[in-house]
Order: sequence, then C-alpha cells, then structure tokens
Amino acid sequence: MTDPEFRTAFHGHKDVLYRFAYRMTGSEAAAEDVVRDCFLALWRNSAAYHPDRGTLRAFLLGVARKLLLKRWRRERPHDALEDDSSLCPPADLEGRERAEQVARAVQMLPPLQREAVILAEFEDMHLDEIARATGADIAAVKSRLHRARQNLRRCLAPLLEEKGTTHGT
Amino acid sequence: MEPDDDLQLHKLLREWEAPNAPPSLEGRVLGRRTSWWRFLLTGQIRVPVPVGLAAVAALIAMGVVVARERVRGAARPPVPEPARAIFNLKDFRPVQNARVRVIRSGYASE
Repeated sequence: MTDPEFRTAFHGHKDVLYRFAYRMTGSEAAAEDVVRDCFLALWRNSAAYHPDRGTLRAFLLGVARKLLLKRWRRERPHDALEDDSSLCPPADLEGRERAEQVARAVQMLPPLQREAVILAEFEDMHLDEIARATGADIAAVKSRLHRARQNLRRCLAPLLEEKGTTHGT
Repeated sequence: MEPDDDLQLHKLLREWEAPNAPPSLEGRVLGRRTSWWRFLLTGQIRVPVPVGLAAVAALIAMGVVVARERVRGAARPPVPEPARAIFNLKDFRPVQNARVRVIRSGYASE
C-alpha cells in the first residue's frame, strides 16, 4: 500500500472506526488507541486485506473488533462474550439524559450483540457487511441483532413508552 | 408490529451521538509510519514508571561508583617503578693467560 493510498484509507474510514470503538468502549482514549493500532496494523501488513473478500471498511472494522475484544477479554477474563445475564434494568427516567440512557443500555449489551447493533443501527451497515466485519455468518448476525434489539427494548422501555405517548406513535 | 417497534427503537438509539475522530489522531497515525532509522532519531517510547525509576537509580549508582574510583585513584601515592639492574663494561678485564684445554671423546688429554 502506497502512502497516498494509506492516507486516503485513513481519511475515509477514521471516523467510522472511531465511532465504533467509542460506542463499544465508552472511552475516547481507548477508542483513539484502538483506531491508531488498527491503522498501524494496516500499514505494516496491508497484504492482509484482499479487496475480493469485502470492503476496506469491513476489513478495518474487523481489525478494530479484534483489538476491542482482546481488550475486553483482558479487562473481564471471566465474562462470556454472549452472556445475557448482565443486562441493565429498565431505564430510570429521572436524573439522566435520554442519550445517556441509550449509551448505558447499549454498553450493557454483551459484546457480540453490542457490535452487531452498533454497526446496524448507527452505521447503517447491511447484514452481509456486518457478517464480514465480525467474521460470522449472516444467520448469526441476524440472531445477535434480534436479541440485542429485544434487550434494548426491555432496557429502554420507559423511554420508548414515553416517546410513543408524546408523539402518538 | 415489529417493523414499527424497530423504527421507534432506531430513532431512540440515534439520539446517542458519538463524536468523530479527534484531529490529534492524524498525527498519531500518519506520524508513526516512520522508518526505523528515523525512529532512532525522532522516536519516542513509553517506559513504565518502575522501569524508568530503576534505570535512573542504576545510572546514579554507576556514576557514584565511577566517581569514587576516580577519587581513590587520585589520592593513591604513585607506585615506584621496579629498580632495573644497570650493566656496563666498565670493570671488564680480559683474561691474561688463556689455556685452552681440548677434551676428546672417550678419554682426556692436555
């Protein structure tokens, strides 16, 4: 990969990677470290990316995801990636902003559900691209998304009811 | 029913906005792709505090030892060089009457 190609890749994908890492970790510093490591990995081994296997965005998100899961495993060695037991209780409407409640609910999801919902809901990625980025098949991504949405509906029920009442939807 | 629920959930989730990458990231990524020799000249490494403190302590200890050795060396009296034997031919006297005695193998004769 030449220097101009690398610069184009950096400017084209840094924001989506940063937002993904930020939503996964909830930390700006951690997100910055992950995105830096992700691009340095691309620079050192650009041959690992094959255009015929998917978009560069999906490839980079896959690298970022691996770094994030590694970090997550280091911080929580005994937690399972797909465990539903740590889900948040329904949101408390008092004292917190709605965006903060949403952030908390997303970050309480198990990592595999969280990454699927972030890529689908916030980055508008299609199932096949999410599947490439996460190294899973489409059925698994669908299942994770379904469970993530169920969990989020339960966590954010008071906000959804409030919104439904307010807007009459 | 579910598509409406999904749409409502989607709208609610979108209320959480994440920031874009900060400008400092550009320097951290594009600036880091340097060759090894440039890294040797301009690179930086992070050192854990205990390791840094140990390195500083080791340097100080080495400095103290070297300084002590120098001070000891300066205070020590100079070691005299071992005396050398001086030879000359001043008292040499050649033999006055040299009598050569030839000894043959097997028996002696004058």
